[in-house]
Amino acid sequence: MGCDDVKRVLYFFLDGALGDKKSRSVNDHLNLCPDCERRSRLHQQLRAFVRRRLAAVPASDKFKVRLTRTLRVFRVE
Amino acid sequence: MSLTTGEMMKTAVANDHEQGWDFEKAAMPYVDSLYNTAYRMTRNSEDAEDLVQETYLKAYKYYDKFEEGTNFKAWLFKIMKNTFINNYRKKKLTPHKIDFSEIEESYERVIQKNAPDLIKDPESDIFQDMMDADVKRALDSLPHDYKMVVLLADIEGFSYKEIAEILDCPVGTVMSRLYRGRKMLERTLLEYARKYGYIRGGAEPAKMRSRKDEAKPRKKKDDETEETEAAEPEENEEEILFAAADEEEETEEFEFEEEEEEEFELE
Repeated sequence: MGCDDVKRVLYFFLDGALGDKKSRSVNDHLNLCPDCERRSRLHQQLRAFVRRRLAAVPASDKFKVRLTRTLRVFRVE
Repeated sequence: MSLTTGEMMKTAVANDHEQGWDFEKAAMPYVDSLYNTAYRMTRNSEDAEDLVQETYLKAYKYYDKFEEGTNFKAWLFKIMKNTFINNYRKKKLTPHKIDFSEIEESYERVIQKNAPDLIKDPESDIFQDMMDADVKRALDSLPHDYKMVVLLADIEGFSYKEIAEILDCPVGTVMSRLYRGRKMLERTLLEYARKYGYIRGGAEPAKMRSRKDEAKPRKKKDDETEETEAAEPEENEEEILFAAADEEEETEEFEFEEEEEEEFELE
């Protein structure tokens, strides 16, 4: 597997979506190629960063109360 | 939906309709997840609340259609997605062309440019200083369909198959959008990081500007832009960047240069 092949499936590899055989070849490549290994770490780092920053908008308690109330009214109708 | 006092009173004497309780128990734990995604889709809390509420009311109405044993969270997201499309995307705007080979190339360029910094200390969190407003702007710069896939996969943790179900599209499309969406998002974040000096030190004033942006949402300026800000080339450059982002925001439908479906060999 060459660098270009690895780049194409790297996200899917990191998601654990590749088949065993392919996953192993990507892994082998990453152990030998510092460029791809660095890219892989960058993907992971950015993913973790995005997850941390974009998961932080919970609904307000006020809204939750309103929603629960609305659902109960709806149920009566 | 607004409630009258009479309706409120009815809640007080709420009944014991079993299905309702079941639904409430099953659905309420997902309200934060749905709200977060709704907020990213509609970009404001009021619309997000309306969208979530409408989703819950619909879901309750069709609760008997939900197949026991299938993924309830994914089912709620699917209803929300459909509601969003019906309510917010009715007006189709002129398609915007995206050149994916250009994205691929510019991604590589950005990676190359930043490589020295990343090599230096790959373990450090080079993005930790980035403003939330920048992260939000980077996400909002993605075409809607790509943004959705990235949110569902990377924030909500849905599998490819679940996303395909929520969005009513083949798994191949999910993968292709994920591949491109993540690339576009990474590229934008790396560009911001570089531009505002989060990667290379010494660009302190840039952060100050970001703070200002956060307090007051950027509006696209027309002819005044050049005159008022030409004196400061740095600022002017930024203005152009955001003007371009604003333009994209107004465009909801995208047209692709390449075929949307790309084959990825997993086995």
